[in-house]
Amino acid sequence: MSVSNLLENWAQVRHEHPNNDKPHDPYKWAMAIDLDACTGCNACSIACYAENNIPVVGKERFQHGQQMHWMRVERYWDEDGREFPDQGFQFLPMMCQQCEAAPCETVCPVAATNHTADGLNSQIYNRCIGSRYCSANCPFKVRYFNWYDYPTDEMVWPAEMQQQMNPDVSVRSKGVMEKCTFCVQRLSAAKVKAKGEGRIVAEGEVQTACQQACPTSAISFGNLVNPDSRVHKQWAAQQVELDKDKQAKNEEEEASELRGYRILEELRAYPSVMYLERVRESAV
Amino acid sequence: MYRFLRFPILLVGLFLAASSFAANSSQPALTTEDSLGPQVQQPIEFPHNRHAGLKDASDPAKGGMEINCQYCHTYARRSAVAGIPPLQKCIGCHQNIESVRNKPRIVELFKYWDAKKAVPWKKVHDLPDFVRFNHERHIKRFVEQQDRPVQEACGYCHGDVKEMTVARRQKSLAMGWCASCHEKDHPVVAEGGTPIAGQAYWYSFQKPAAAVDANTKARGPNDCWQCHK
Amino acid sequence: MIDSGSVKQMAGHPFDRRDFLKVLGWSGAAVALSGCGNTSVEDGRETVVSYVEANDYMVPGVGVYFNSTCAQCDAGCSINGRVREGRVLKLEGNPDSAINKGRLCGLGQAGVQHHYNPDRVREPLLRNGNKGEAISWEKAYALIAEKLAGVSGEEIAFLSGGVSGHLKVLLGNYLDSLGTKNHFVYEAIAPSVVRAANLKAFGVEMPRYRFDKAQVVLSFGADFLGSWVSPVHFSQQYAQFRKGVNGQRGVLIQVESKMTLTGANADRWLAVKPGTEGVLALGIINALGMATGEVAELVKGYDKARVSRETGVSTGQIDKIAALLKLRSPSLVLAGNAAEGYAHGSQNAAAINLLNQVLGNVGKTIEAPVSVPFPQMVPSKGNTVALKNMNDGLAAGKYKVVFNFAANPVFTAPGAFKFKDNFAKAGFKVAFAHYLDETALQADLVLPLDSALEDWGTQVPEYMTEGAQINIQQPLMERLHANTRGMGDILLGLIKQKKADEYKGFEDYYAYLRGAVLQNKGALGGGGVEDDTFWNDTLTQGIVKLAGTTTSLAAHASAAGLVLPAAAEADEHFPLHLIPGVTASLRDGRHTNQPWLQESPDPLTTIVWDSWVEIHPKKAAELGIVEGDIVQVTSKTGSVKAQVYLFPGIHPEAISIPVGRGHDAMGRYAKGYGVNPFQIMDAVFEAATGELAMHETRVKISKTGQRVLVVKDEGSAGALQMGRKIAGRVSTDQVDLSKEV
Repeated sequence: MSVSNLLENWAQVRHEHPNNDKPHDPYKWAMAIDLDACTGCNACSIACYAENNIPVVGKERFQHGQQMHWMRVERYWDEDGREFPDQGFQFLPMMCQQCEAAPCETVCPVAATNHTADGLNSQIYNRCIGSRYCSANCPFKVRYFNWYDYPTDEMVWPAEMQQQMNPDVSVRSKGVMEKCTFCVQRLSAAKVKAKGEGRIVAEGEVQTACQQACPTSAISFGNLVNPDSRVHKQWAAQQVELDKDKQAKNEEEEASELRGYRILEELRAYPSVMYLERVRESAV
Repeated sequence: MYRFLRFPILLVGLFLAASSFAANSSQPALTTEDSLGPQVQQPIEFPHNRHAGLKDASDPAKGGMEINCQYCHTYARRSAVAGIPPLQKCIGCHQNIESVRNKPRIVELFKYWDAKKAVPWKKVHDLPDFVRFNHERHIKRFVEQQDRPVQEACGYCHGDVKEMTVARRQKSLAMGWCASCHEKDHPVVAEGGTPIAGQAYWYSFQKPAAAVDANTKARGPNDCWQCHK
Repeated sequence: MIDSGSVKQMAGHPFDRRDFLKVLGWSGAAVALSGCGNTSVEDGRETVVSYVEANDYMVPGVGVYFNSTCAQCDAGCSINGRVREGRVLKLEGNPDSAINKGRLCGLGQAGVQHHYNPDRVREPLLRNGNKGEAISWEKAYALIAEKLAGVSGEEIAFLSGGVSGHLKVLLGNYLDSLGTKNHFVYEAIAPSVVRAANLKAFGVEMPRYRFDKAQVVLSFGADFLGSWVSPVHFSQQYAQFRKGVNGQRGVLIQVESKMTLTGANADRWLAVKPGTEGVLALGIINALGMATGEVAELVKGYDKARVSRETGVSTGQIDKIAALLKLRSPSLVLAGNAAEGYAHGSQNAAAINLLNQVLGNVGKTIEAPVSVPFPQMVPSKGNTVALKNMNDGLAAGKYKVVFNFAANPVFTAPGAFKFKDNFAKAGFKVAFAHYLDETALQADLVLPLDSALEDWGTQVPEYMTEGAQINIQQPLMERLHANTRGMGDILLGLIKQKKADEYKGFEDYYAYLRGAVLQNKGALGGGGVEDDTFWNDTLTQGIVKLAGTTTSLAAHASAAGLVLPAAAEADEHFPLHLIPGVTASLRDGRHTNQPWLQESPDPLTTIVWDSWVEIHPKKAAELGIVEGDIVQVTSKTGSVKAQVYLFPGIHPEAISIPVGRGHDAMGRYAKGYGVNPFQIMDAVFEAATGELAMHETRVKISKTGQRVLVVKDEGSAGALQMGRKIAGRVSTDQVDLSKEV
């Protein structure tokens, strides 16, 4: 393999990002999370453990920061020094934001994480060499590293519990990075079904595990390219555009009455998850 | 003196140490393009040639029976995994074929049936667990949508099974081998120019409205998550 | 992804179905554990999954979904389990259930870990000294018969958690056959005082609450989003309530001394002095100025200044709440754990119900409930009164044979009961157990139960939503362990010892259940349908929906007899209130051995795998305590040691320790993690109902000098946003919700 060949192939891998001549089509998977509906109950997180063969690391490893929750619920409280948090807490479900220009992708020395045509940030376990550069470069801190060989750990996965594992999801061994995949195994099953029938995946045909579990339906997920999808309508109503790092609505003189935003948009990672601000009553 | 040699010597030493370590590790040999899989010992020596092989016009007792692959391997078109037909399927035919009823292999088969035990067939085409090949998708694409003969479509990966007794791996099934096909330009319409429903839509980001003709070509998907997830 | 066709077909072939549910091709770790590297290529070694016989829908690699009922709590959510190659992999909510409408909470999701738990009891165990010896079922049954011989009904006691459906009927019949009336129903955490107060005010124990119709919800410590009554259903209504109508978003005000998950989601969270919830309710009635007659007379004394002084809520805040309640109607006022947990809990709840009535909510957001037309199947309820009665009997050495099912009183009884010692006085103790938990360890005979995913059954929820429903529980896979049995089968076996003739027609509990359902086919909406068809449809749907009988709702909350005690005197020796925290995922501790729940951070503190003592930062500063200090919490009854977490969402006069952890048995994921606050609870009872007043225990804390790192998921920035907009928030006057999708 010549150097020029290598560079050419490399460039191919790197050019999978949709751009002007190749826009997302027919799929761009995206999410919208309504923080006003989210109650912080953790159902999404546990559903994610169940779906994606995520190891339970135990107390000691948790203390070392080695927990593996692909979907975590962050909790924030007010910082204004009042005696009581009398407007409650603030919860934020945080998972891989499937950035369009993902900072993790550019630093991987072996291209184990890269972009798929339908706008996902893929993580390929068998390609990963465990450099952890991606995790270091992730602004959302949603990448989790396998510090141990969890599948062979009796406390993590005793033989009985291994029977619960989802056969559609690879079990990760020591030394590889992992993260939320937007339940790619479900997406791919739905796509295969639709392809066989010569159509695209319809709205509501596929749900992520977290979305399906959420008791308040705070999470919507779907195909941003499909104008009939709820997620498309939500993004449009909130005037949040995927390929902008500054939304036009925030540039206007008058403050926007819309509550859609993306986290750390200014870093130009172009995340695929839009959050809707939590609302608190002003009259009480 | 010879101080300048210290560093190269150290390097050479490290290299030797590393390579001897590598030589000791027990990685299995990598599969190559020409390697056939191991000759697998099956609990019953199943004659694929007898079932799927071509008929012998001169002597019907000798040739095959030209049974369609999908007659037994029904799961292939409905599931990601092809699976093995249930024992019931074998018995369904064989209980009515008196002529071979006393052949040792059939006697063995009926032993399993009487004990209501599944035959422990061994895997011949095993992929690493992080690779997810989808049979259903390939059958749909080539057999149903492009109307290729079943044996040809299955044969892309499984070789000429109708010539085999116990199946043996014919292709390397390595990633490069898979990719070599996915990187080829394939016609998206069946021979004779009938457009395949919605097929062109899937390749090269073409809109369904785009004209599709016999010259339209497309490639298989090539992002990693198609097969690794 | 749910192929209803195949589900239907499957239910129609009970024999094949059983075949399908057999674990297939499971050769230990090899199948699921794919590491990375090509060492996992097993050409010619691994065996292919194959069937002997298969139907059209049995396709390797394709999941099939079955409907059943979640048994993790008694809310009765319907589940839809994904089964592949004979293994149940994941539980989803069943979209057809009016209760959870396709949703499922974290506790429910963890149901698979209950089933696959490595610490399940697998054989009947007979006590031999300190050890359990595996015996056969025949021997176990014979032993029970032998121990029951010549024992009068008075000398038998059966302790159980809440049971419903056909299991309750069968249990009742068994107890009748033993001639005993000593069935003690004990749920450690139950809204029993509120039930009693509701019965008085509305004529029903648990009305149907309509959060979705309310414009304002004022909740006095009811954690309806976390652990109260039917959280998944309430969460869905809450989402509707928040969306509101025409952009008019619902407002939630939560009043409690320790913040719950619901409190964390409130628009206004008010830390009241422990026990003064009723005073605030009366103060609000006063401020509303809407009451007349004797109610007005009653609240006359509760002027803002006094209420503010007693509760710690500012007068301005009381005004705002009253104004909001007047402006936006209907509203909904709830009394929860925090209000009912005091010696005057009934009075608190009565005052809160009175507020509802004054606001005119009865009939609007508080509706008449429906119930199934089979009173023998509605869930049996019970709380600490039952346990206390049994405990007294045990202490007096009254019982020769004691049974325990679906309760763990050795763990959950308040320390003051000395339950473990009293339990030892019973002659022969039989525990029907899933784990060797604290109670099972004290038993003489332990009978291993099937998991809810292996067993047949029916379940009737206490809290119904639209119409009544009977939930069907059916196996989602074959038994994991050959020697466990379903509770129904065991009871049937036991009852046959007494009434062999009457029950000889039922080979097993499945036959009993099928017979019982088909017998009432007409009433269950299957009139004129063929037996097999009806039964198969019932199993396919997993729910029998009924019109149900509607109980009428009264509005006779009154001021009569409503007396709230003066604010409790500060106790010099035990200056702090102990508030037992009930969390959404651990509840009373019966599911602590499910590792997903242990590692799922507590939503409020983000702590995992351990207990903690919540202290307000101000109080902590006063005591010189910092986060991670191990403190000794001492009550009149006992003391425990645990790490401190500084938590602003608690009244400075109270501390809180969550319940559910602190097991010294049960299994590898539960044993040795945290402390059990039940152990230090004083025996203080609610005056009207006699239930345990869970919030009445007073404690003192002292430093031990040890300090640990609190294991939590707060993140390196200590859960601060550092001026960046991460979790955004906006107030209602800055946002226009009417334009939203």
